[in-house]
This record gives sequence, structure tokens and C-alpha cells, in this order.
Amino acid sequence: MIQRFRDVGLPIGLALCWIILFSASTAWGQPAPPTHVEAVDTPNDTGNSITVRWQISPDDKAGAGVDGKMNVVGYHILRSDDPAGPFQLLQEVAGGITEFRDDDGMAGSPAYYYRVRAVDGAGETADSETVGPVKATSEWFHTGKVYILIAVLLYSAILVYCIYHARRGREFFVRRIAGLEAVDEAIGRATEMGRPILYTLGLGGISNIATIASLNILGEVAKRTAEYETPLRVPCYDPIVMNVVREVVRSSYSDAGRPDAYSEDNVFFITDSQFAYAAAVDGIMIREKPAAIFYQGHFYAESLILAETGNSVGAIQIAGTDSDAQLPFFITACDYTLIGEELFAASAYLSREPLIMGSLKGQDYGKALVLAALLVGTVLEIFGVHWVSTFFQAAS
Amino acid sequence: MRRQVPLVLCFLFGITMTIQYYVPSRFSEDLKSEVLNWGLIIGPFALVLAIATLVRLHYTRIQRRSENWPYSIVVFVGLIVMAVVGTVQGFTSQGISGGPFEWIFNNIQVPMDATMFALLAFFIASAAYRAFRARTLEATLLLVAALLVMFGNAPIGDLIWQKISPVRPNLPSEVRQWILDNPNLSSRRAIIMGISLGAISQSLRIILGIERSYLGGGE
Amino acid sequence: MIEKLMSLDRRYVFALVGLAVIIPTLLMIRFPIYVSQPTQNIYDFIEGLSEGEVVMIAFDYGPSSLAELNPMAIAVLRHCFRKRLRVIGMTLWPVGATLGDTLMREVAHEFDTTEGEDYVYLGYRPGVTNVLLQMGEDISAVFAEDYSGTPISEHPMMADVKNYNDIALVVDLAAGASVEGAWIPYTYTGYKQKIAAGVTGVIVSQLYPYLQTGQLVGLMPGLLGAAEYEKLIEQPGKGTAGMSAQSIVHLLVIVLVIVGNVAYFTTRRREQNAEVY
Repeated sequence: MIQRFRDVGLPIGLALCWIILFSASTAWGQPAPPTHVEAVDTPNDTGNSITVRWQISPDDKAGAGVDGKMNVVGYHILRSDDPAGPFQLLQEVAGGITEFRDDDGMAGSPAYYYRVRAVDGAGETADSETVGPVKATSEWFHTGKVYILIAVLLYSAILVYCIYHARRGREFFVRRIAGLEAVDEAIGRATEMGRPILYTLGLGGISNIATIASLNILGEVAKRTAEYETPLRVPCYDPIVMNVVREVVRSSYSDAGRPDAYSEDNVFFITDSQFAYAAAVDGIMIREKPAAIFYQGHFYAESLILAETGNSVGAIQIAGTDSDAQLPFFITACDYTLIGEELFAASAYLSREPLIMGSLKGQDYGKALVLAALLVGTVLEIFGVHWVSTFFQAAS
Repeated sequence: MRRQVPLVLCFLFGITMTIQYYVPSRFSEDLKSEVLNWGLIIGPFALVLAIATLVRLHYTRIQRRSENWPYSIVVFVGLIVMAVVGTVQGFTSQGISGGPFEWIFNNIQVPMDATMFALLAFFIASAAYRAFRARTLEATLLLVAALLVMFGNAPIGDLIWQKISPVRPNLPSEVRQWILDNPNLSSRRAIIMGISLGAISQSLRIILGIERSYLGGGE
Repeated sequence: MIEKLMSLDRRYVFALVGLAVIIPTLLMIRFPIYVSQPTQNIYDFIEGLSEGEVVMIAFDYGPSSLAELNPMAIAVLRHCFRKRLRVIGMTLWPVGATLGDTLMREVAHEFDTTEGEDYVYLGYRPGVTNVLLQMGEDISAVFAEDYSGTPISEHPMMADVKNYNDIALVVDLAAGASVEGAWIPYTYTGYKQKIAAGVTGVIVSQLYPYLQTGQLVGLMPGLLGAAEYEKLIEQPGKGTAGMSAQSIVHLLVIVLVIVGNVAYFTTRRREQNAEVY
């Protein structure tokens, strides 16, 4: 009997003890550690970080606590340059979080090993397995931007092709842009009335593409005002832009054969404070009553303050901007408005330079491509085919 | 020569910065940071030239007693007072928080700037009355949309609607939101796409030296 | 009569607008406010944050638009401080530096907060792109000192705030192009930082594309947005008070547009009839 108890009872007793001990450990002892821990060099960065990811502990309250016994409230990220340790605490994060980006002292650092430690409400902890080694390295190509690169290369190739054909003497048709047709009318009117022309480039800096487009238009306008001997006043908001404007206007007067008519005093800086600039330009309008006013460039809320004052002095007003929020104001208050891309097309339109005209054609082909993608995507989406939208989502 | 050097620089920097966009390495990011810093350094030099033109213009006006010349004195007073107070305070205390600089800012610049911005409300009303006409079908659509957005953009719209109809008490607000979320959104996107293509095309023309009028004159 | 209406001097319109602002403001009329979803989204996001998490508020506006954006800033700051979140203030606009400093201190004093532990105001540094990119690596590399000249290393709350990784949300209060021209392209695209925006009524419509794509968590539209947020935090302020004037002026503009069009069509019909006879 005793022997039998020894044969059967001992293993059962041990098993019972083990079950009791295990239950105790899961009920009051260590929580379950996080699983599937991985540490990877963060892609497409400057080599300054390693990303650590894990799946939450089965006892994490964010995972509904599984059996409700545990309450993991957070994780400690531990790091060491030796797999045997010692591991140092790097960061504490809250429960439910599954990712951490380690950017602490990565420059010239060795490869690192990581552990993620689950911490419960009672302060009990459980470490994951060690992962690593991982070294933070920088990449020479941003793989997330590959689709952007393809699109830019494709579009640039179309532009270059069109410019090449324009160079070989191919004529391009450009639709009539009323705002630009009116430039001569405006300058002629100012000349007849013996009043100046006011030209403002808005609030954009020299790196703003709308400012550069505006400079190109200004060059053409200045040539014509030089020919007609009509005073051209250009109040500037940005100091760098002012210096470039002076060069552009001076050059145009020279090209028109009237360098003597150019006066530096007509191109001047006012202030780089938005509404002080608006007040000053309004003042010039009221005092000098220009016959024509050009608003070409990047504008903000001062657009209507300028355009309504210009309207009140009876000037013919031609606006052009890529600031889409200001377009309704200009359209309402001005005689002509160049909308968005028309501003960029203006220098081609005014100068009739074949190479620039060629790039305009390329722009149209680019637009056709975008339209085609939109149409195809919409139709396919309606019929439940999602690969086009999935592709563009991945590309973005 | 005066044109060739800037054109070559423009080409080199244009291509380099375009490539930089696709290269995430430390060297590439440092290069970008460096170039941006150069831009910041150029700014103050241009500012000195710009202020010199401002001073010259207003000095000439005062000297010649041109029309409204007393306003030019106001320009000098503003310029000198702000520069002196800012500089003195910068040297004598830590930062420009508090003190006379902040007092001038809060009590002079704030109300003046706010007044100018407030003019917008007056001009919106006058422009809407003078020029917002249903001349064509497109203009009519625009006008109807604008009226609906305005009606829903102020709480009184919902209040008036609730007096008229018992159903959907916030209909004006919902209509406004629908217009902003749908027709407005799609048209904005179309304009953004057109502008972006135009901007890329213009950038390429500048980088390749086809568009060069921004460089001014001289061969 | 109609001809007179057609050629009405704009000064009469200005006078009407002036009255439409002054009278309701003096009478302090209150209107019920409907909270739009984009504003609700910002509130919900901040409400979902835990105590001690960090919100960065960018005061990217100047004195001109303070009337619209200050109430928004106050409402968001009150929400953050009430929830015991930590707040970092800064600006990309030189003229926004003083405004942000004054405002943050005022609102912080309403609560049991300590500078350096619950909030820090960094102020302004030139070079928008560089500032945003460098903050993605190390905020102290750009702002070694706060606005009042104290080294930020001396502020206890900055000890565990190194870069965007430690910031739960950026709220950009903007009067210009800083949302779509700076924060989204550099901070959202580069660092996947969550961004919410509150902007002046003039530019709000141009930000809707970014809202739909999820690049913005939420969007507060002008003074109305401030009033909506004040309703959500149940603490009416200048936004709510401004709704009376905004309501009446909106109605006035609607009436002006209708009157202008009636006069226009009446005149046109008369001219057409005159041509026929």
C-alpha cells in the first residue's frame, strides 16, 4: 500500500504542488512577458535610431487582461551592448504600447541587444527574450519615396521631351489667358491717364515659386512700361526679393533701350510685417491713384484689403496667385485673375519663348496623366476593384 | 559671366537639393541644414540694403517736403524706437520677455495690426455687395454655395432654421460642413494638382536655365 | 431707388457692418453652438491622453489675427491644464513670440501649475524648416534656452522630452501657411507626428484636403472653432461671445448679397425692356 502510494501518490503530489505553485505564480507572481519582440534598424532615417516592437503581454490590461488575473501597466525597454548584460533601463512606456524608437546616443554606437520587460501593478516584472544585435545605420535611398521619384522622373521626361521639340521649331497652341491679354490694355490706360502702375509681388520670399513666376511677369511688364515711359512703382515686402526686383526692372529697362528711365527709388522696401505692408500699399494707392495695379505672387489675408482699395481708386486690376484661399477675393474684386497654374504659365505666354512654351505643353500632358489616373481609379473603385487606390495609398 | 555663374550655381544647387530629397543619410541631412542656414545668413545682409532704401526714400521726402512728408517722420520714430528699445533690452536683461519692448508690442503693434485685419470684415461686405452677382450659371452656383456656407457658419443659421422647421435642427451647419467636405475639397484638390504640376515645370525650367528673367540683366 | 442701391457708397455698407458688430456685442446675445466634427476630433484626441503626456502648441500668428486665434489657444490650453497634461509652447512667427508667452502664463495661472514642470514656453527661432527638422532629433539643439532665457535643461519637464517621439500632439494655431507649408510636410511627413490645427476663418477651407487624408487630426475653423471648443470644455469665453457679432454680420452679408443681386437683375431687366421698345 505504502509502496503503491509511493508509486502513484508521489508523482501526483508533485504535480499538484507544481500546479499550485504555477497558479500562484500566475495569480500573484510574475506577469507573462511580451512576445514576438524584434529590434530593427529604423528604415529610411539618418542612422540615428533602432525601432523595437513587441506584442503586448497576455496580461496587459489593453488586451482585455485575458483571464483578468494580471494587470500589466507598462513596459520597460532595456538595452545592452552585450547579450549577457547587464541591461540598462532605457525608457518606460505605458501598457498597450507596442513600439519604441530608440534614438539615444546612436552616433558611432556599437550594435545593441534589447529586452522588453512587462511590469504589473504590483511591481512584478517579466523579461522577454533578448533580441539583437542591431546597429543603427543610415540609408542612401529613401525606399518610401520610390513612387514619388518615378512620378517626378516621368513628368520631367515629358517636359524635357516637349522642350526638345519646341527647340526644333515646333509651334504650340496656347489658349487665350484673358488676364495676360489685358496687360497691354492696363499699361496703355495708365499711359493715357498719365498715372503710375503699381506692381506688388505679395508676401512670398525668394524661394517661393509664385514669387519667381511674378518676377518673370514683372520683367515683361517693366519692358512695356519702359517703352511707354509710364512710371512703375514696386513696393516690396521681402528684403531679398527687393534686391532681385531691382535687378529685374533695371534689366528690362535696358532691354527696352531705356536704361535712363529706370529709377531705383521706384523699387523700395516697406516692411516685412503683413498688415503694415497692406496699410502702406493702401496708402500709396490712395495718394498716387495708380491707373493699373498688378497683384502677382503669394498672398494671404491682405489680398482683399489691397484689392478693394485698388478698386475704390478706379484702377484696372490684374491679379495672379497660387494661394487658393485668396483666389475668391481676387476674383471678386479684380478685373482679371490668373488662377494658380496660369500664374506659372504667364512668363511663357508673355515672352512667347519657344522653350518655355514647350514646357507648358508638357505640363498639359502631365495633367492628362493625372486625370487619366483619377478617371480609371474612380471607375475601378465603383466596380469594386481597388488596386489603383491601394497602389496610390502605398505610394503616398 | 554675370549670368553664367548664377546659372551654374542654380543648376548645381537645384540638382543637389533634388537628389538630397531622396537620400536620408546623415551627410545629406547635414547638407540640407547647412544650405538652409546659408539662406538665413543672406537674409540680414539683404535686410540692411532694404532698410537703406527705406531710409533714403523717406529722408528724401522729408528733405524735399514732398506731399504728406510728416508721415516719413513717423517711419523714422517707429524704426529708431523699436530698434533702440529691443537692442538695449536685449543687452541688459535675459531675453525680450516683459519690459518696454513687450509693452510697446502689446499696446501699439497689437491694436494696429488687429485693426488692419478687422478691415477685412468691412471689405468682404462691400465686395460681396458690389461684385458678387449671379451673372452666369457658374457664378450662380458659387453664390448659392457661399450663401449656404455663411448661413451655416454662424450659430444664428441653426436658430433661424429651428424656428422654420422641426426636422434636423442643425441642418444649416450640416449643409455647410457637407459643402466644405465635398465640393470645396475636390475643387481645392484640383487647384493644388494644377499648381503643383506648374510649380514642378517652373522649377525644372529654372534649374535647366531656360527661365532666367529672375536673374536680372547683364551678360 | 434701384439705381441708388446699385451705386450705394461703400461707406454705408461699412457703417452697417460697424453697427452689426457693436450692437450684438453690447447686448451680449448668446446663440446655441453646434460642434462640427473636425473640432470634436481635436477635443476627443486631447481627452484621450493620459496625465503627464505632452502637447505642443505652436502660436503661429501675429497680433492681427489674435482676436480669432487667442480664444482658441485659451480653450485648448485650459483643456490641457485641466487634464494635467504638460504643455510646450513655441512659434514659427517672430511676432507670435510675445503673444504666446503672455497667453500661456495667463492661462497657466488659472490652474495649479508650475513653470518648468507643467509648461515651458520656448519662443521663436528663425529658419522654419531647420527648426522643425531639428526638433525631430533634439528640441534642445534648437531651443537651448526658453523664451525668458532659462536653459531648458533646468526645466524638470524637459528631462524626458527629447523630440517629437515624446510629444503626443502638436496643435498649430495658424494665420498663415504654417500648417500645410511647414508642420505637415516636415513634422507629419518626416516624423509621423500627430498634428491638429486651428486657423483663421479666411484660410480654413484650404486645409480640408489635409483633414480628409488624415494628415490632420482635427481642425478648428476661426472664431467659430474657438466657440465650439469652449462649448466642449464647458467654459464659454471670447469665442462664444464673438458668435453674436459673427452671426449678425453673416446675416448682414447674406442680405447685402441678395439686395445687390435683386438690384442688379432689376436694372438689367429694365435695360433689356428699354432695348425692346
